[in-house]
Amino acid sequence: MITQHPNDELLLAAAAGTLDAGADIVLGAHLEGCAQCRRAVRVFESAGGAMLESIEPVLMAPDALAQALAAIDAEPPAARPAAPPLPRPSLPPGVDWPRSLAACTVSRWRWMGPGMRWSRVTAPHAPDANVFLLRIGAGKALADHTHSGLELTHVLCGSFHDGRARFGAGDFDAADGAVRHQPVLEPGGGECICLATVQGRLVFDGAIARWIGALVGI
Amino acid sequence: MPTGDEFVELVRAVAVAGDRSAFAVLFKHFAPRVKAYLRRSGMDPELAEELAQETMVNLWRKAASFDPARAQLSTWIFTIARNLRVDHLRRQHGTQAVQDVEIDGGDASAGSEPVEHDAVQLDEQLDATRRETAVRQALRQLAPEQLQAVWLAFYDERSHARIAGDLQLPLGTVKSRIRLAVIHLRRLLQGMEP
Repeated sequence: MITQHPNDELLLAAAAGTLDAGADIVLGAHLEGCAQCRRAVRVFESAGGAMLESIEPVLMAPDALAQALAAIDAEPPAARPAAPPLPRPSLPPGVDWPRSLAACTVSRWRWMGPGMRWSRVTAPHAPDANVFLLRIGAGKALADHTHSGLELTHVLCGSFHDGRARFGAGDFDAADGAVRHQPVLEPGGGECICLATVQGRLVFDGAIARWIGALVGI
Repeated sequence: MPTGDEFVELVRAVAVAGDRSAFAVLFKHFAPRVKAYLRRSGMDPELAEELAQETMVNLWRKAASFDPARAQLSTWIFTIARNLRVDHLRRQHGTQAVQDVEIDGGDASAGSEPVEHDAVQLDEQLDATRRETAVRQALRQLAPEQLQAVWLAFYDERSHARIAGDLQLPLGTVKSRIRLAVIHLRRLLQGMEP
């Protein structure tokens, strides 16, 4: 059961279409599995409709309607053929790729420490967005860290506790620079895979963790 | 000005009969509002004009998929304009538009929803009319400056800075006004739930 949700500001930004590319991908993955948050986005979209009703209109060009009708009379743009699916690294059985990653390239799993792997997610429309997957083995912990900017996390499978709350499959977390946390996996549970994005970089505490963080560039 | 129901009838006339005079009435009402929204989102006048026209062309092409039981017409048109705006920003930064990364369950992208979400969607559809009414009621109860803060959340960051300048407020204050307005809006909506 999903217990951790994005806050209203993020859901409003999703409805307004003002999220940056990385946040859009990670929040999108949560929305795919969370009817409650989809409803909230629809509420804010309704506010968008109300905004459109109350906004002071801006004069269109004199021939605007004629131009629109000419565009309607022209051939509608041909539907793009569906792109072939992009190669994906392996996921545990029963875990699906979020649709929000459909257009992204996802690198193979790379080593970043004992029992810890990561994968780079690259969005074609925003190659600079810092989006990645973390795959942490059962009983392991990610190094204590903070963030230079907002960190958004969506749990694909497994669960962890970071001292603030427990996060399981489908849960969403937003942690800003004021949050210092160390995600620890539950000892008896399986591995945990998270989709995350950071505005800026992760800032690890220990020297070795810092070195690894610098090495992998997340 | 036609009423909400009359607007819905006009969309139906576009969908079933390709009625150009119905389209002209819709265009006259909505295109200048869409253009105003896009201008406030930071687009220059030429681009806002172009995308406002494109929004209306999309309304023509997708008219048959508009379902008044799922969203008010203005909400549907807003999502079309928003998607075009996001797509445009993406094309600027990258290779091409991303296909179907809809987060709204596909209101503005007919027929692209996978089958497994049908059950959820039906549930979402049932309370759409109530939702649209409740949101407008809640917005009416907001103080003018809070309402303005909600609208700001739909615009571009640069317009936040501009408004902050106009009101002689720090940008952080404008941002926290938006946050407080959203909290208030949520509280009002929760009070309306049965």
